[in-house]
Amino acid sequence: MSDTATIDPALREHVVETICALLPRVLKREVPDASEGTTLMDDLGMSSTTGLELVLELEDRLEREISVEDLGRDDFETVGTLASYVAGNLLDEE
Amino acid sequence: MTTLAGIGTFVPEARVSIESYAEEFDLTPMQVRVFRRYHKLGSAARSDESLTGLLRLALEDLALSEEQRVRVRYVLYARTFPVVVPYPRNPLHDALAAVGLGHAQAFAVGQQACASGLLAIDLAGRLLAADGDDGLAIVLAGEKAFTGEARFVPETSMFGEGAAACLVAASGERDRLLAYVARLRGEFDGDLDEVAQEFQRIYHDALGEAVTAAVARAGLGLDDIAVILPHNVNQVAWQRTCKRIGFPLDRVLLEHVAAIGHVFCADAFINHRTAVERGLLRPGDRYVIAAAGAGRGATFSAMVFEH
Repeated sequence: MSDTATIDPALREHVVETICALLPRVLKREVPDASEGTTLMDDLGMSSTTGLELVLELEDRLEREISVEDLGRDDFETVGTLASYVAGNLLDEE
Repeated sequence: MTTLAGIGTFVPEARVSIESYAEEFDLTPMQVRVFRRYHKLGSAARSDESLTGLLRLALEDLALSEEQRVRVRYVLYARTFPVVVPYPRNPLHDALAAVGLGHAQAFAVGQQACASGLLAIDLAGRLLAADGDDGLAIVLAGEKAFTGEARFVPETSMFGEGAAACLVAASGERDRLLAYVARLRGEFDGDLDEVAQEFQRIYHDALGEAVTAAVARAGLGLDDIAVILPHNVNQVAWQRTCKRIGFPLDRVLLEHVAAIGHVFCADAFINHRTAVERGLLRPGDRYVIAAAGAGRGATFSAMVFEH
């Protein structure tokens, strides 16, 4: 479980921006006005597998590995919840 | 009390990789990576054997004694797909004739897709109990992955070929059936996107609920369960289900997911064989067999046994 108290706000903000930039690529359509509050499944109709594709794309873009051990469905609620999870679960660089 | 008296399996050597599906099923390289990394599905088992051959090999592996063979009264063929060969072929009858079981009443059990194997065990036990004598039944499972639908489930799984034969008795020492729960969810009938999305949304909770309900019905808690023998749908589905019910993932036998794939209704029995070989099941251990089936409607099922 990610500990929100230890998340670097700048990193999280960077992840939010990266997710919004990646959404059209993963969903293969335009996603205007995506923001932190956009719900991934309800607003965008994202499936659980597309959600995992998004996480892999994020790894490529951030050039960091993301620990998915604790990644659950609730973390895919909104762009913001996913960003919190990702920012709190980046594995240390080798 | 229904018992599993013996298990025979056949798992072919040949494999087909997820990468080889990319073109036919329109998978992007990223989707292939998701399959390998999160679903832990990399390949699936394939055989040159016909369906009759797959079933026959599992029956031969069961290695019935002559005394057992003549006592077999019912053979229930548990299937994921309602139709597996064109009429008038009948691989079930052909396989039984080949191993000297032509005298048994043989029929298919379906309608619960990949959860039909558990239904067949329950049904076999009830048929034998109603007869009230020393008759035996065999539950057979395993199919050919030959149509697109029988090879690949989009975003979910790869089907593997193989077969299992399970000897069922109405009483005996091993493995005793303690409880069975099957949750039928008829609302998930249909191919609409909204239905599929809702199915995905409730999948882990529903599968977890079936497991915990079966364990409770057996008068046990999850701490009493030595191992879960899952359907090999994929790893991430079990990861999420386990997280919801608080069961350690390392006590779910998932090692076959990556190599042989989802062997229709035969997964649980193939996994059982592996669990016994690995020493994961010792005499007296309680374990769960669990499966979810989706086709015309969905079924979430779990059985608790004592080894």
